[in-house]
Order: sequence, then C-alpha cells, then structure tokens
Amino acid sequence: MHMKEFKIKWGMVIDIDKCTGCGACMVACQVENNIAPMTKKDPYNYVQALTKDRDDADNKLRTLTWMNVYELSNGKSFPEHEVAYLPRPCMQCGNPACVPVCPVVATDKNEEGGIVSQIYPRCIGCRYCMAACPYHARYFNWWDPLWPEGMDKQLSPAVSPRPRGVVEKCNFCHTRYAKAKDQARENGEDPMNLAEGAYVPACAEICPSGAITFGDLNNPEHKVHELAKSPHAFRLLEKLGLHPQVYYMSKREWVRKQGDNYNAGDKH
Amino acid sequence: MDSKLFPEGVQRCSFGKFLIWSCFILAFFLWGLYAAVLVLYNGIGTTGLDNYFGFGLWITFDLAVIALGAGAFFTGFLKYILKIKQLEKIINLTVIVGFICYSGAMLVLTLDIGQPGRAWFGYWHPNVHSMLTEVIFCITCYCTVLIIEYVPLILEQKQLNKVPFIHALAHNMHVNMALFAGLGTFLSTFHQGSLGGMYGVLIGRPYAFREGFFIWPWTFFLFVISAVGSGPVFTVLVCTFMEKLTGKKLVEYKVKALMGKIAGTMLTVYVFLKILDTWAWATGYLPSVGLTFDDMFYGVAYGKWMMFTEIVLCGVLPAIMLIVPSIRNKPALLYTAALLDCIGVTINRYVFTVQTIAFPAMPFDKWYVYYPNWVEWASSVMIVAYGFLVLSLSYRYLPVFPQERHLNYK
Amino acid sequence: MGFDRRTFIQLSVGGTVGILFTPVLWKALDDVSIWTQNWPWIPRLKYGALEDQPAVSKLCDSGCAVKVRKVAGSAFGTEGNEDSPLSKGGICPICANAVQVMRNPNRVKGPMKKVGEAFEPITWEDAKSMVADKLAAAKGKVAFISGDQTGTANEVFSGFLAGIGSEDYLQMPCDMQAASRAYNGVMGGTGQVAYDLENSDFVLLAGADAMESWGPTVANQKAFAATHPTGEKPTAIYMLASPVQTRTASVVDAWIPVPEEGMATFLLGVAYHLIRAGKYAGAADFGSFRSMIMDAYAPGKVEAAIGVKGADTAALAKQLLAASDPIVVPGGTSVATATAAFAVNMLLGSLRKVSEFPKVIQSAMSTSERMSKDLLTWVNKGAAPAVAMVYEANPAYSLPDDFKAGFVVSFATEWDETAAKADLVLPNAFTFERFDDMQNPYGIGKQTYSVGVPVCRPTLDVMASTDFILDVAASMGINLGFDSFAEVIAAKAEAVGADFDEASGGQYEGSYSSARASVLGASVLSRAAAPVRGNGAVVLAPYSQLIVGSQNVATTPNAPCVISTNVLKGGTLVAMMCSATAKKIGVSDESKIKLSGGNGEAAALVKINEGVLPGAVAVPLGLGHTVGDEFSKGVGDNVYKILTVRSEAATGATVWTGSTVNVAKM
Repeated sequence: MHMKEFKIKWGMVIDIDKCTGCGACMVACQVENNIAPMTKKDPYNYVQALTKDRDDADNKLRTLTWMNVYELSNGKSFPEHEVAYLPRPCMQCGNPACVPVCPVVATDKNEEGGIVSQIYPRCIGCRYCMAACPYHARYFNWWDPLWPEGMDKQLSPAVSPRPRGVVEKCNFCHTRYAKAKDQARENGEDPMNLAEGAYVPACAEICPSGAITFGDLNNPEHKVHELAKSPHAFRLLEKLGLHPQVYYMSKREWVRKQGDNYNAGDKH
Repeated sequence: MDSKLFPEGVQRCSFGKFLIWSCFILAFFLWGLYAAVLVLYNGIGTTGLDNYFGFGLWITFDLAVIALGAGAFFTGFLKYILKIKQLEKIINLTVIVGFICYSGAMLVLTLDIGQPGRAWFGYWHPNVHSMLTEVIFCITCYCTVLIIEYVPLILEQKQLNKVPFIHALAHNMHVNMALFAGLGTFLSTFHQGSLGGMYGVLIGRPYAFREGFFIWPWTFFLFVISAVGSGPVFTVLVCTFMEKLTGKKLVEYKVKALMGKIAGTMLTVYVFLKILDTWAWATGYLPSVGLTFDDMFYGVAYGKWMMFTEIVLCGVLPAIMLIVPSIRNKPALLYTAALLDCIGVTINRYVFTVQTIAFPAMPFDKWYVYYPNWVEWASSVMIVAYGFLVLSLSYRYLPVFPQERHLNYK
Repeated sequence: MGFDRRTFIQLSVGGTVGILFTPVLWKALDDVSIWTQNWPWIPRLKYGALEDQPAVSKLCDSGCAVKVRKVAGSAFGTEGNEDSPLSKGGICPICANAVQVMRNPNRVKGPMKKVGEAFEPITWEDAKSMVADKLAAAKGKVAFISGDQTGTANEVFSGFLAGIGSEDYLQMPCDMQAASRAYNGVMGGTGQVAYDLENSDFVLLAGADAMESWGPTVANQKAFAATHPTGEKPTAIYMLASPVQTRTASVVDAWIPVPEEGMATFLLGVAYHLIRAGKYAGAADFGSFRSMIMDAYAPGKVEAAIGVKGADTAALAKQLLAASDPIVVPGGTSVATATAAFAVNMLLGSLRKVSEFPKVIQSAMSTSERMSKDLLTWVNKGAAPAVAMVYEANPAYSLPDDFKAGFVVSFATEWDETAAKADLVLPNAFTFERFDDMQNPYGIGKQTYSVGVPVCRPTLDVMASTDFILDVAASMGINLGFDSFAEVIAAKAEAVGADFDEASGGQYEGSYSSARASVLGASVLSRAAAPVRGNGAVVLAPYSQLIVGSQNVATTPNAPCVISTNVLKGGTLVAMMCSATAKKIGVSDESKIKLSGGNGEAAALVKINEGVLPGAVAVPLGLGHTVGDEFSKGVGDNVYKILTVRSEAATGATVWTGSTVNVAKM
C-alpha cells in the first residue's frame, strides 16, 4: 500500500500502565473542542418538542467523545483479575482507512505533521468514513450542538461548533499546532522543528498521571521517538496495516495482547 | 370516468376501486413521509443509527433495491445491444421497476446523509479515489438515464401522444434509446461494481476487506453479477404479482422463463465465484490478520446461519432451479427460485452493510446489535409505497405491456 | 412544426446550457453551502486576546491549582498550573470542567428566602439583617457546617461562631478528619500527617484510592508518574489494599483485596511481621501494642477475620522492610484504620507531618480543632440548633442521616438538596469569582499554600460568604480584626510567607518534619480494630469517582458521556460484584436489583466484575441527586442513603464501613 511520508509525524505514546481512566482528558477535549454537553431538549426546535427527546449521555453510542477511554480486563476470575484503561484518540493513521473512502475530500492526510484532517463545512455526513474506521475514532453529530442557557457565553476559540449531520473526530487539537508554529515564527525559530512541549494537545496537557507523551515521532529530540521503539510499545490492530501514529505501551503482556487479534496464531 | 386515458384496447378497474387502492397505498406513503419529515427536520438522531452503526437499514435497502433494479440495465443491454427481441415484451416493466428502484434509492440517500443540502458536493469536490464518488456519479447519471427511458413511455400515453410535438419527441427518444441503453449498461456496471468495491476496500473491516485482486476486479464483479443474477427475476416477480392483482396475463410465460434462465446463468457464475471468495477470505486473509472464520460471527443476529442461508439456500439452490429447464418451466418453482434469489442478494447486501461494521475489530470492544427503529422502517416503506403508486399509475394509464391486449382479449 | 433529431438535440443541449449560464443555480448552491454551516442557533465564536490566569479551583475536595483560560477577557476553560506543586500541569476531571460549572444555569442567581414552599428574591442588605436577627435570637444555639477542608474561610466562620458563643463548628466527614483525630487525638501528636509520595520508594495505599478520589489526587498522580517514568524502570512500588479494583488499582504494581471494615486488622497483621522482624517505635505504649499484636493479629487470626493470607501480609511486610522510604496511606473515615496505619508508619520510621500555618483570626479554630468534632455523632445525639449555616457542603445529600435545625442558611453556589431545604440561600461567589486559598491539602507531602484571587467578574448577584459573614459580624459588634476577606487572605499570605500579589495570587512551599506521637494507640486499637459488619446479605463497598462528582459537587456538564457503563447504565446505577457473589445471591449480569439498607433503598443493575471482593458489592457514590441540573438530577440513586452509620468502638468516630444491604430482584 502506498503511504505518504512526512518529515514531521505527530504522534502519541500512551502508557497504559499509567492511565488511571479518570476521564480528565475526555473533559478537557470537550472543552477545548466545543463539544456541547448532551442535553435532551432543543429549545429552538418545536417539532422536536412534540416528538422524541434528543439523546443524553446514557446512550454511549451517540456521544461525541473524540477521546474515549476504554476499560480492559484480563478476563480472569477473582483474585487474578486485572483491569487497565486505554484512552483512544484518533490514531492519525499513516495509511488511514477513512481518507480514501470520503467521496468529497472532507478528510485528508496531506499536511506536514501527518494529522488526518476533517473539514466540517465540506462533510456531507454520509458516514462512510465511520464505517471504514475500525477504531471508532469518528463520530457523527446526531444533534445540533446546544449548550444549556448561558454556558455558551464564551466558547473555546479553537474550533467552531459543528452543525448536526457532519462527522467529527480528534485532530490532535490542530489549532494548537497552528499556534505553536506561529509562535515559533514570531520567536525566529523554525516552525518545522518545534521543541518538545511547544505543541501539546489538550488531553496530553491535562493528564494528571502523565500517561500521554506527545511529540514528533520523526524527531530524535522528542521523547516519543525513542518510546515508540520500546519493546513494550505496540499499536492497535497493527496487522490491519493502518500504521497508526498513536502508540501504546504496557509492561503487562495481557494488555499488549489486546492491542491486536491473535486468535489465528501469529502468522502474518 | 377516466377510461379515455387508458391504453388502447384494454380494460381497467373502476375509478372508485382505483381510488380506494391508491388511498390504501397513500396511507403507507404518508406514514413514511411523516418519518422523512422528522428525519429532515430533527436530524438523523431520530433513527436507530449510532456511531457504531453509521450504516443500517437505509443503506441495506438502497443496495438491495439497486441490485434488484438491475433488471433494467441488463434487460436493456440484452434487448438493445444484443438484440434479443423477445425481451421487448417485458422491457417497459424493467425500465419502470429500475426507475422506481433508483429514484427510491436516491430519495433514501437524501435522508441518509447528514447534510442533504450538500449532496451535490460529490460533484463539486469529488474524491476520485472513493468508491462512493463513483457510486454517486453513476447512480445520479443512471437515474437520469432511467428517467429518459421512462419519459417516452409516459409520452406514449394515448391522449398525450395525440399532441404532435409530444409524439415527435417520444419518437425521437425511442430512436435514440439504444444509445441510452448502452450508456445505462456502462454506468450500471460501474456503480454496481463500485458498490461491491465500497466494502472490499474497507481495510479496517476484516469482514468485508479483500486484498489486491480480490478487491478489483473480484468484489466488483461479485456485486455486478449478483445484481444481474437477481434483477431480471425480480422484474418477473413484480410482473407476476401484477398479474395476480389484476387477474390478467401481462407477459407470456416464455418470456418469464427466459428471464429466469438469464438470471439463473448469472447466479450460477456468481455463486461459484462467491464460494471461492469466501473460501479464500476465510483461509487466507482472515488468518493473516490474526482472525478466524468463527470470529466473524456472533449470536443469532450475526450468526453463521445467515451466511449459509445467503449462499446455499438462497444461492446454490435457486441457481440450480433456474438453470434446470424442467424446474424453470414450472411457474410455481420459477417463482420460488426467483424469490429465494432476491432474498439471497438482499441478505448479501445486509451482511456487507451491517455485519461488516458490527464486528468489533478491537479485541477489547464488543459486538453490538443494531435494530432499525420505526423511522427507518417507515421511510423505507414510503419508498415501497411510492413504487406501488408509480406502478399502479403506469399500469392504468400507460401502454406498459405490449402483449396485454393479445393475451387477454384476442 | 417540424421536430426532428436536430431540434431535439438543440432543445435538450440548449436547455441544459441555458440553465447553467443563469446565476440562479450557482447562487442557490453557494447559498446552500453557506447556510448549512451557519444556522442561527449554532453559537458563534468570539475571538480576542488569549490569557491564562492562575487561580484555585475548590470544586473537588482537595482543590486544584489551575489556570483559567480566557479569550477577550472571558473565561472558557481551565488548564493545569505548571508552577504549582499541587498541579504540575494536571487537573482533576471536576476542575477541568470548572468554567462550565460556573456558567451552569443551575447557579443560584441571587439571595433567596423561603416563603412557604417557594423561594423569593431578597436583597443582600435584608439578608444580612435577617441573619443577624436570627443569630441574635438563637442565643448561641448556632451550628456551622463546612465542607471546606483547606480554606482560611474556616477561620472567619469559626471565629465568628466563637463570637456568638457557639462551639458547634462541624466539618463534613472526610478522610482528613479521621487522620487528624487519629494523630492529634488518639496518638497525641500535633500537626497534620503528611505523605511524601514523591520521595517514597514503597507506597501501600490502605484503602486510599489515591489516584482517583483520595487526597490531592492530581498531586498523587503526579508523584506516581514521577516514580514511574514512561519507558523507564519505576523507582517506587505502589500497592493498593481495597475491596474493589478501583482506578487506582489499574495502575498500581499490586492489588490486595481487603475489605474496608478489615483495613485496620490488615494493617495490624502487617505490623505483626514488622515487630517480629524487630521493628520498634519509641512510643509510651509500645509494650502493650506489641503484646496486643502478638496476641490478636497473628497471621492465622488475621486470615480468619478478613480472609487475607498470612503469606501475603508477610510478603508485604518484607517489601516494606526492604524499602528505604516506605509509607502506608490510610483511606476512609475510620479513626482505627488511620491509627493503625500511623502505627505501622512509626514502626517503619516514616511517619511525617506538616505543621499548621499560623492563624490570622485569633478567635478561630485551628485545623485540628475543626476536625475534632464529629458531625454525625452530633446529629445523632439529637442536636437541634436554632440556626445552622452550611458552607461548601451538601449535607442534605451526602449525610447518611438527616440533620435538623430551626433555620438553615445555605451558602450554595448551585442549587442542591441543602439549598432547596434551606430557609435562606445566600449564593457564594464561584471559586473563580472570590478570594480563596488552600492550606496543606490533606495528603500532601510537604507544607503547601496556594492563594487564588478573583479572576472572573461575577455575572450573578452573588457574594463571597466570607465577606458576608464579616459584614454580619461587624453589624453584630463582633470584631474579627478584618473588614474584608481580601485583607484576611493578604494577612494569611504574609503570615505563611507566600509571595502574594492581588492580581495573580501566590503560593508557598515548605517542608515536612518527622512526626512525634506519644502513643501508638494500643488501648484504642485493641477495641476498635476488629472488623464490624452488618447483618445484610452483602457488604457495601462504596467508591468515588471524580467524574461522577464529589460529596459537594454534582456531576459536571461534560462529565456524563465520560462516566462508564460500569458505574451508570441507562440512568440506573451499576452494582458490581464478582461471579461468586452473584451466584450466591442468585443474580447475573444485567439483573435489576434493589439494595436496601441504612435509611433507604437504591435500584441497581448487576455487573459482573471479578475485581470485587467476594461477598461485597461495589456501588458508586455521588449519583441520585434530587435537586440540580439535568446532568445529575434523577440520575441513578444516592448510595449515601443506604449506608449504615455506626459509632466506632473506642474512637467514637462515625463510620459506615461494613455497611450491609439486602438484595431483592426487581
């Protein structure tokens, strides 16, 4: 499969052995990216008022959780049971399943940095990309983004709220990347060679247990460069050949084993 | 009261009776229309779809009717290009059925996309690598072709045709019909194939993904052939249903059997290739990504019984029934085979649409079962009702069946 | 009219081209693409200068040091404060949502008094005179309930209370209180026990869900992160003893299943091995402690009492002995557990403390004095003050037992159960709208002081409760020495030695010192350490997750979609138990059950989780609010109401460990 190569490849190494699953990343992501709290009523739509309510967060298959924490279990009985948490942002695949399928080029991977973009005003909402992504990193905007009264008085300036009917996903807080590059230019530095920490997505920044390390996978001065090569590092569903830019690591073998399918033995 | 509008030399039921029938159909249509309005006004959140099942009943419905509507292009191809004269006795019906299927599919797609106002972006910002772009192109173009094929039939309506301009227009369109039939064949083959490719390219979805040769041309042709293997007999079924409803003979059985033979041949080729494909997928591709055949199935909703029903009961069996002349020539058996065939291709489109995305690729994830809700059912029923209305009106007022007079009032 | 092929083609092509050349089609398409992204009901962004302002967010129990992110002077979010020892750049999930809480329509919009069943607005001036009158009439029969563990605000309130002749200053039950009563009360120490996680190489969390809900969670997680550098060898071992595999359990090096009510027994079982290995503590009662341990906490007896094998406690003791700087961290409100943990720490020579910062209001209570009074004991003794004031607490929701008072004043920022019950609701300014501080959040390893200044202008008719009380005090002739809380804070910062300025707050970092306790608490432990369990079918193992909320703060707006289906499913709370327990009580995954115990019942869905001690049912605290916004009201059931409160032998502390419930299938 032909893969576009980039000089800069932003990526994450998520240490599952450090993630406590607290959910601060998921909250920070929603605040940064103006994802509205899920409210049942739509005060602007009288037809809605006459019919079924909108979904609230009880419906986990209708949320907009660009960053989503999965719970892993080793499947054993008490007291051998173990648990782990796996935060799942968009994998920003090197060979994305979603990009080639989009009929209207609303998603692309062509910018230096290797982040898979999503152009909301272009998206027609066909959801083919969601069908394509095995990580469920793509979310459909089922309902209009409406905040409880007054809560939208000041939204994050990072990204406009998306109308209903389009697909959304994590873009490694792309505005922060743009800002970091601008800052570098202002400081007379090379925007194509950002220092570690100059650009960090909201989830990685807020994580209280430092489980998410973020940086340029191609830059030897960035921690992720080495971490990604650790014998404990793995990527999700590597066998499918999507080449994610998000790596995970765990010293626990059972955790690593849940990163891919091994039911048919290990031949590839 | 409307007898002046009937085709030459045939009888139709009373206007009152027709009105009652139309109202009966209209009731279903309106129910679906209400659902469609909800979808457009409140959004797709009103459906049973979710982030795990972005595709559901609607896409299955679309793919199924597009496959079943394939009778139009294939019969057109055989009649106009290969000049199989016999088929002109049923060609009008295949065009109408094709038109209903394709226009219905387009209506459903308008509901299905989250931003219907941006539907035309497929032309404005096309991604030439996307199978769906190809599908959008071909379906819209082919739908136009079907309209062009359908229009002359309308213009041939007894009263309309008296107007010289309309008469001339209809005549000219007829003269050029071979061109449109050719164009239709070309477009149809493409999008039927692309629809198969749509799933075949899903690299992240082991249930549907095929590698290299098995995407192109394999999945493409599987979809094309399965469509032409079922479309013609679907038209036969529609025709037979109309005969039962009207109590008249509309097409001679010989033509139906011929359609069955054509479809049966195609279905045989298809089933053979499908079995090969399934075998290669189960023993070659799946193990290469660490999966087994068993991993692909879950519970009753996504059980293996579905695959066996699709390939054996609704594939191998009708294929045999249709290619063996002695079976094919018995009406009851022909219709049974046709029905099985159509069910088989529908199951195929369903599993490729739903089971593909239901399979939890991440080992720590789980299977979810998708149930369409009433909104999806109602809007699909609306399309069926729309089909009934178009057929009823066409039958009543247009010269659809050239043999009708001869077979019933000789 | 001739109509030939040529006419036909001319007509069709001409028609098509004609339509394409009119602007109608293009204009329409262009408009559609603009409309579809600019519906009037979708909020527009406002742009402007970006700035970050350091602040303290006192929403979670221990408080987070944050920076409030603003655009064009208006707050939209929070981020961690890299410079704060409490944060080091991280924030907890509650404070990550703080700005959204501040803008929540559920905020109390102005002072309200209850008239009949409804509330009516009242002016601040009227409220002040009303409170002053009520207090004057109460003649000292006044109680103050505070949920603020760290603030100097407590000095204002307790000083004021002293001024009107009451000593009923009551802290909401908390782990800090248990630790304080153990160390300052039972063991005769002074100061606040400190846990230097950052520099410990072995951490035994005895029921303390340190990385989720115990103590300064963010600082704990940061300490864990620092000792477990990604991709390198860890420099410390963390172990968790608890009845449920909480989130902390998912990252620690080992999880030891221990029932909550058996935690003291477990720790004394560890002490047994330490003493056998020759460990000694310089306390007056070491002899009796030693003989108590040898008699009652031999491995066989411990196993019989709580099911933990002698080999396991022995192995654990060995690791503690091998470590150069081990620490045991107790969790829960049991004074016995805290005492046992501190005794073990003394044996290991690792008990540390931080000194309290000097008071600035002389008549106020010190922290340890504040912590000494047990709220539920006071309630259950039938206390009925004429006036009760409630600050940063929601006792009507989170106390297993109801409290009664003639006239209730609530200083709630948001409508909650206590505010709804109150006679007067005097909305406190939000944490970003007022001066506030955090002194030595319990659990921290060294002296830490953080001051926050108002960084957001209030948009509602609210007032800092501290200023309100200072005004009332002045009107009643009680001199606390300050006119405004800003002055109190400035004085405090000076007394602490923090570098403080009125624009950006300030902070101070000190150190810890070795703790000196006069006794190990043998006489108390001999009566209080044995596990006590109710008579119900299963033991409750309540747990907290910040994403669900805290004692005081309900689920925040962006939290619901983060809450796991193992906690809450389809609006019903989830009761987790291992398959053995489920089999025993005859339920299975997804069974609907009713748990009854304490003062109520709770509906729940069963979820099999092999990370729960057999015989126990893990249930989340913080759900089932009856007052509040749509994110918390009516969501799940309130587990506090099914806890059974009892008084711990010898310590008199109110505990609910060992609460049992009966299970009925629904």
